[in-house]
Parts: sequence; C-alpha cells; structure tokens
Amino acid sequence: MLDTFYELSPYELGANEKRDLLTKELKELTRFHQSACPEYGAILDAWGYDEKLVEDYQDIPFFPVRLFKELELLSIPREDVFKTMTSSGTTGQAVSKIFVDKDTAMAQQKVMIKILGDYLGKKRLPMLIIDTPNTIKNRQMFTARGAAILGLNIMSSGMTFVLKDDMSLNQEVLDDFMEKHNGEKFLIFGFTFMVWKHFYQVMKEMQQRYDFSQAWLMTGGGWKKLESEKISREDFKTCLRETVGIQHFLDHYGMVEQTGCIYAECEYGHLHASIYSDVIPRRYKDFSPCNIGEKGILQVVSVLPHSYPGHSLLTEDEGMVIGIDDCPCGRKGKYIEITGRIKSAELRGCSDTYADKLERNLNNT
Amino acid sequence: MIDATYLCQKLNFLVGDMEVLEKLSRTPAVACFSDEMVGFLSDLSKELLKIPNVRQYSDVLSFAFWIRKSSLEQEKKKHQLERRIGRGVALHIAPSNVPVNFAVSMTSALLAGNACLIRVSNKEFVQVDMICTCINTLLNDKWKQLKPYFCIVRYEHDELVTQELTNICDIRIIWGGNETIRRIRMAALSPRAIEMAFADRYSIALIHSDSYLKMNPKEIAQKFYTDTYYSDQGACSSPRIVVWLGEQVKEAQTQFWFSLSELVHRDYELHPIQTIDKLDSFCRLAAYAQKNGIVVKRITDDNYLYRIELDKLDSGVFEYKEGGGYFYEYVASQMEEIIPILGKSCQTISCLGIDKDRIMEMVKLFGVRGVDRIVDVGETMALSFRWDGYDMIETMSRWIDG
Repeated sequence: MLDTFYELSPYELGANEKRDLLTKELKELTRFHQSACPEYGAILDAWGYDEKLVEDYQDIPFFPVRLFKELELLSIPREDVFKTMTSSGTTGQAVSKIFVDKDTAMAQQKVMIKILGDYLGKKRLPMLIIDTPNTIKNRQMFTARGAAILGLNIMSSGMTFVLKDDMSLNQEVLDDFMEKHNGEKFLIFGFTFMVWKHFYQVMKEMQQRYDFSQAWLMTGGGWKKLESEKISREDFKTCLRETVGIQHFLDHYGMVEQTGCIYAECEYGHLHASIYSDVIPRRYKDFSPCNIGEKGILQVVSVLPHSYPGHSLLTEDEGMVIGIDDCPCGRKGKYIEITGRIKSAELRGCSDTYADKLERNLNNT
Repeated sequence: MIDATYLCQKLNFLVGDMEVLEKLSRTPAVACFSDEMVGFLSDLSKELLKIPNVRQYSDVLSFAFWIRKSSLEQEKKKHQLERRIGRGVALHIAPSNVPVNFAVSMTSALLAGNACLIRVSNKEFVQVDMICTCINTLLNDKWKQLKPYFCIVRYEHDELVTQELTNICDIRIIWGGNETIRRIRMAALSPRAIEMAFADRYSIALIHSDSYLKMNPKEIAQKFYTDTYYSDQGACSSPRIVVWLGEQVKEAQTQFWFSLSELVHRDYELHPIQTIDKLDSFCRLAAYAQKNGIVVKRITDDNYLYRIELDKLDSGVFEYKEGGGYFYEYVASQMEEIIPILGKSCQTISCLGIDKDRIMEMVKLFGVRGVDRIVDVGETMALSFRWDGYDMIETMSRWIDG
C-alpha cells in the first residue's frame, strides 16, 4: 500500500500517474473505512456510494471536517488509540477529535519528513519555536498548534521555545540559541499571527540585531487574522526580510485532520500538493470540480488516515488550483492558493483562534 | 429598582428611551381591543403601506395587511371583551430568524392591553428598521399619548440587563431556540408574572398525491416555496418532511419536486456555507439512523434541494433538521402512520388534498402531545392571534370576575 509511495519522491509524479495511484489507494481506503467505521459506513450507504462507479479519486464521497467535532469517528479498536489530536477551540466551542494509532502516527511523521526534506534537505535542523513550551505539555490531548509543533520534532536536532507563558519574548533563551547556532542553517517555526505579534513586533523595537540570514521561517495557521489587519502576505515577508533579515520563507497549509500531508510553499510562493494528498476545489452549487484558476470550496484527500476515516474531507476553506505539473520550481502535481474561509463559517483554526481570544481579552480590559 | 446608569450604557433604543422605560411599570393597563390600540395599529398599517418599496418585503406587507382596521375589527368580534384588561408590561424577546416576528408579538400584546418592552435581535434587518421608523413617526405626531407604551431595544446578551427588564414585566414572551429560552430563564420572574415560551419546533407537510396531480404544479410549488425557502426553511412552521398519501405517489413526487426545483434555481440565493451545513446534517442523520434501524437514502444530488427518503417515521430524525431546502420524505399507506412524529415538538401540519377535520379527529383520538396548527400548504407563514396553542389575546390579558 503506502510502500509504493515511499519509493517515490514526493513531487515526482505527473498528473496521470498520480491520478492512477491515488485513485487505487483511496478506493481501497474508502472500502476499509466503510467496513471498519460504522458511522462512515452508514454515511456511504445513505449517500448511495457504489465503488464500481468510481473512475477517478474525484468520485469518492467526502464529508465536512466539522463532523469530527460532532461524532467520534474511528476505524480501529479504542484500545489501539495512541494519541488523540484536537483542533483548538475557544471555550464552549466543540473541538475536533482525531484518533491516531501507531501506524498512522508513523506514516504522518514519515511523510512530513519526505515533504519538508524536499525543501530543507535531509539533515535535522535546530528549531526556534515562536510559542511557549506549554503548547506541547499535555501529550494526551494535542491542540492543532501543539500537533504541528510536535510533527516537526522528527525534523529537528533540538527545539527551543522562545516565548514565555505570558507570550513575551524570552530574550535569554534567544541569545543562547543564536550564540550556539551562529552561522548554521536553522528553522524558525510559528503560527503566522504569533510570529507577527510576538516575534516581529518585538524584534522591530529591539536595539540588538541578530543574524537570521541562515534561517528558514516556516509559518502556518492561515492569514485571515493578519489580512483583517490589512497586512498582506507580501507585507509580512517584506517586513521580516527588511527588519529582521530573514531570507527564506516556507509557509504551509495543512490541518490536524490530515496531519503529515502539508502543502508547502516553494520559492515562487506556490503551495504544492505532494503525491500523498490532493486538493479539489469544488463549486458550491453542485460540488462539481472547479477548473484551473476557478475559486471553490476545498476538498482534501490524503492516503495517510487509516485509524480514522479522514481520507476525503470537505473543508470550510476556499481556494483554487493555479496550475498542474508546471511550476517553475520543478515540483510536479497541483499548486494551489488558499483564498480564505467560507463566509460565516464557524470560527476554526489555530493562530486565528488565539488571535480572537487575545482580541476579546484586550476588549475586556 | 432599575439601575439606570447600567441600563443606559447597555441598551440601544430603537423606540422609546430611558424615561419611558423607568416609568413603564406604572403605565396604566388598558382594556382589550381599546379604540386607541386599534386606531394606532391601523394607522401603523397605513404608514407601512406608504413606504415606496414596501412591496419588496412581503413579510412587512402581510404584517401591514394583518393590522388593517377591518382585520382587527374582525378579530375583536371573536372575543368576549367586556371584563378583559391588559396585565401590564409585556417583555418580548424576539427571535433572530424571522424579522417581523417582534411586531406580530407586539400587536397581540397591545391589543390585549399591555405596554410593550421588546428586545429585537442584534442581527440587523431592514424590516425591523422600517417598522420602528413608522412607529416613531406615529408616536411623535398623532399618537403622542401612546409613547409610554413602547420601548424597543437592542442589547448584547447580558444577564443583568435581562434580569432588570424581567423585574418590571408582567408577561414574558420568549421567541427563539431552546438555548435562548434556557438563558433567558436564568432571570427569575416576579411571583405574579407569567411566561409564554415558544421553543424549537418542527413542522410537517401532508400531501395526497392523487389530489395533487389534479392541481396546477406551478401554483403549488410557489405556495410550498413560501412555506419553506422564503424563510430559508428556518421558521418553526416550515415543513421539514413531506409525507405522501394516495395511489400515484411516484408521479406526484416527480412532478412536485421538479416544479419546486425549477422555482428554487430561479429565485433562491444559495450560500456556500449552507451546502456544507446540509451535507453535515445529512451525515449526522445517516449515523443516527443506522443506530436506530432506520434506512435513509439521499434521492437527489442537488445542493439546492436535498431529498432524503426515510423508511420509518421517528421524531429523533428532526434533531438533524437543516434549513435552506432540506427535506425528509416518507410514503405512507395511511394517515395514522404519522402518529410517532406528532410529539411535543411538532407544531404545524400543512396539508394538500386532505380533509383538515380528519387530521383534527386523529389528533384528538390519539391524544398526541404536539400539533398546534393545521393549515393548507402555502399558509404556514400566515399571521395569527393563536400560536403554539395559545390564544395570544386571552393569555396576555386578565378577566375580571364578578
């Protein structure tokens, strides 16, 4: 099954080969979850799913990611659950529960390494995390932010959390890190809004200058909050380049429901789908697939979820495919753009949730 | 006693002001269907009908027609009024899904003889502004003497405010979902005050296929559209299920849904989020149905119109109801098969080609807990002085014995 994939590099397959491989794998996964997860089986029955009619992985049914908040969906015996990942939610809001067993967890890590390795090289890197160590304290219940950070652990030669619990910058820790890794390549990771608010804005005011020319800044968690403050992705990069001296940027799109299969940004600013997953923007009127360049609701498919039926999901994000197989960076597969979230969608997400909470607290004081 | 400074900060007055609010508990009650209240409402009707673009808002239009003098006089005749007077102050908590509802609730309370304190939803509706503007016009001119009877406010949910407003009311009328009712009830009523709570309900359409096939399908589609899509299928009275009776069910279904679909694709503005909501509810229904031995099948794959066939009737499926064109369907060989879904939460039965008296007989025979209304298809949104089993005028007033 997944072994065929592992023999390939993550952006090796052209459209037709990828379609054949994904179609075969996702059909099998659908069949597996149909028999292993009673709720999923019930959904397919009610839907009238008939595997014989599936010619392409686009024909495989999908359900809204929100369903993980409302039902406990798992395709393994409960005692095999190795960890439960949750999406972050503010108090009172339901959280997604994703049940992961050892095999799925391993596959997630393996694929994460393959994808990020294509951008950062095979060597493990020191990592500076723009977050507090608290984010990963509770190992039984991971939040999306915690899960994203821990997912990177396997790529790191050591993680350094640079924020204190009150979100202020721990300068002592930063000084130590910079001294220790002077001149080395390293990774800075944080959610977009946290990087802006707790890293960039602090660095901007500081007298001291650090050398970040060897750093890769990896971000995630979406742009909604910054864009609502009229800061575009370009502004973000320009500010961090000019004020902080960061030269390499690596944004990504991903979700806790499909951990491992991230869509990482190349040097041309495009987010790439690897052979392990794909994005299908769909027209809201009838859920038919959009053409290239046409905005739609994003369906995501991934070959990794085995312990829970998360291999074909409808997100509440909007975006489009910019092109297939022809990005100047040389990576094959679809490259996409995320344009935002569907209007009046329930608040979801990671740094965005944090941002909203922060805003509320500020308003209350 | 009202903490005026606190309330002043929190309340946003659309009609009335702090002064009116502070005196509200001392405002005299009036007799039911008093000449002033009838006069005021019929003037409000005229005022609304003067608005140049009022025809675009059929809900405001039907409200305006409903409070015309002749319509009110007709209602007046139905009641025995000589010893009836208002209870005092009516506090209305209006819902966020039906814009003119606050005015409908107000109408009954005024005619019953009460002063009105109304909380309208924070969601802004043109209809609310239109009606409040007209009320203000009248209160500032011809009907100055009625000023002490009106306060219409908006406020962010706030327990203290709700408690303060509750303290001065004699009747509390809560529209809206069960969650709203639960939250508002945390504010305790004073010992003599009464409450009317309009909880989440679902409604049913009952269609006789053979009769339907003899009717004009376009006309019926328009009526059914008014019952459902017009309010995004969000009203309690909007049918959630169509139950078919008769011999030619297949033919009738095809014709009915085809005609409706044509109209919906032409007139209904579907929002992307609704398509996800529908799919989500459908998936939760599928999981529920399987656990409870019900077979469900999605018949159409159209995001504008979901048809979901059930092989058994069970009130639990209504926990998974959804708006914007999401219908359960069931084919019955006899009417009594619907008994299991006529529980407490069932509000309106709208019917086509079926004798309404027969439904009434069935409700009495089986003593079901639900069904407060039996109307024709197309009439579910009709305004009425009776709602959810209450006679609004009589409940909001008192009878002086003797």
